[in-house]
Amino acid sequence: MPDPIQKPRPVVPAPGPGGGGGDGPKDPQVNKPNTDDLLKRMRKVDPDQAKRYRQRTGQ
Amino acid sequence: MEIQFGLETEYGISRERSEGIDVVAESIALVRSATAPGVRQRWDYRQEDPHQDARGFRVDALRQDTDEANYFAQDASRPLSFSEIKSDLVLRNGARFYNDHAHPEYCTPECSTLREIIEQDAAGDALLVQCAQAVGGKTDNPVLLYKNNTDFLGHSYGCHENYLLPRSLAWSSLADGIQGFLVTRQVFCGAGKYGWEDEDRFVQASFQIAQRSDFFTELQSVDTMQRRPLVNTRDEPHADPAKYRRFHVIIGDANLSPFATYLKMGSTALVLQALVNGAPRERIVRLADPLAALPAISRDLTWKWKLRTAGGRTMSAIDVQRGYLDLVREFAPPVDAEWRRLFNAWATILDDLERDPLSTADRLDWSAKHRLIEEFRANEGIAPDDPWLRSLDLSYHHLDPELGLFYGLKASGAFQQPFPDADLGAAWRAPASTRAALRGGCIEKFGALVESAQWDGVILQDGRRRIEIDLKDVFTRERVEQGLAAIAAALTPADLLSLPFANEL
Repeated sequence: MPDPIQKPRPVVPAPGPGGGGGDGPKDPQVNKPNTDDLLKRMRKVDPDQAKRYRQRTGQ
Repeated sequence: MEIQFGLETEYGISRERSEGIDVVAESIALVRSATAPGVRQRWDYRQEDPHQDARGFRVDALRQDTDEANYFAQDASRPLSFSEIKSDLVLRNGARFYNDHAHPEYCTPECSTLREIIEQDAAGDALLVQCAQAVGGKTDNPVLLYKNNTDFLGHSYGCHENYLLPRSLAWSSLADGIQGFLVTRQVFCGAGKYGWEDEDRFVQASFQIAQRSDFFTELQSVDTMQRRPLVNTRDEPHADPAKYRRFHVIIGDANLSPFATYLKMGSTALVLQALVNGAPRERIVRLADPLAALPAISRDLTWKWKLRTAGGRTMSAIDVQRGYLDLVREFAPPVDAEWRRLFNAWATILDDLERDPLSTADRLDWSAKHRLIEEFRANEGIAPDDPWLRSLDLSYHHLDPELGLFYGLKASGAFQQPFPDADLGAAWRAPASTRAALRGGCIEKFGALVESAQWDGVILQDGRRRIEIDLKDVFTRERVEQGLAAIAAALTPADLLSLPFANEL
């Protein structure tokens, strides 16, 4: 199966002590997202929405 | 990796104006609106038996049997048969979609790679969104779907995981070995919740990192709806019971972030593989009180996540996870790129959680939710116990790309993706590496002739003949490819009798 990560990466050995490494998925371009529009969306969320939300117990 | 896995997600359902709605009727209508290719009402319930216990006995009754009987009695007044109420749809991708009492439930097909499970989970979400639009899109009272696990009133619903394991792994080794992992993995796979709950009641307004951790009161049992156990003992392998067991994990949250699902499924599969490969019990940390540690970790607002071991030491949940990481490194070192990448992502998330928990908001649901809602709360001057926070929490899980807060964050570029998003839309094909491809292949080629389907088999009609494709032991690529070739070449179901795992009934 082809490597799903698009950027070319060096081949790394099996994980060694400490486990971490640079082979993980890459950071997005925007580390701290611009949430201005989202905060506007949040103002439109009905404050009582959760009070009306009732479900039957499931599995 | 040898282990195959899948997810079962129950979604919350409501309407924008929810006064007086019947959630069961809503769930049935939603499931019946699906137009995705598949076969309807042909699920074989005769093959289901949740009463067998992995500890070697059979229970006479589940705690939820009374509740279920009451639900069935209520549902008997509906002008629908049992089959119509369930409305099972077995899909071309090998998945199952049905009404589980009062929740639409999507079960992914069996997967053997992390890319497959992420794709199939996304396919389920997309299916649900399509159904919500089909049912409510043309009305002034839209259907609201939530990929979460609670209504904040103590009514929880599940996102279960399944892992196919060799029977040779003794139950006691599995149950003892996995316990500490399941209690502590919530630090990276919790979905976050603005509320503490108990069974059937709201307790108080406060944040915690996991949705489900309020609802577990037993160490082990076969139940899933009441007095839920950390380790579920249901012994229903959906495979040859002499060779396999299905480990049914009921303790996880439903994740919106694919990265969280990736970490949850991947790390759990690696730990299970280490246990299968003989990781010794004495190397695994035992917790002094796992049932108390579960909510204590989830509700710890210091995010230090300290707990006591059976030996009297104080450790952090991160250190317990690192113990499992070391075990995997020794007993199940990942050998291919996908699993090495997962292993490294798991190690990195633990480092990041220890250094700065909110730095994980680009990968994890609980920290993304917390960072977003706390920013909003600060901007708006909202009190920490304001019920609005629970509505915002619910909105994070709203399964509508235009309205859900998770989707808003995602669109802003806030999340790392384990796999490129462009790959996630084409999951209406079954994973080619598992028996799901044969289930899906039979449905695609012989849909009208499918008499019944289950995880472990399909029965096809060919005139008066009945052909069973027995999938109880189809877990190698060779067998899957053999089956796919036979389906491709077959003109009629009877042609499949050339397969060594096909029988005429």
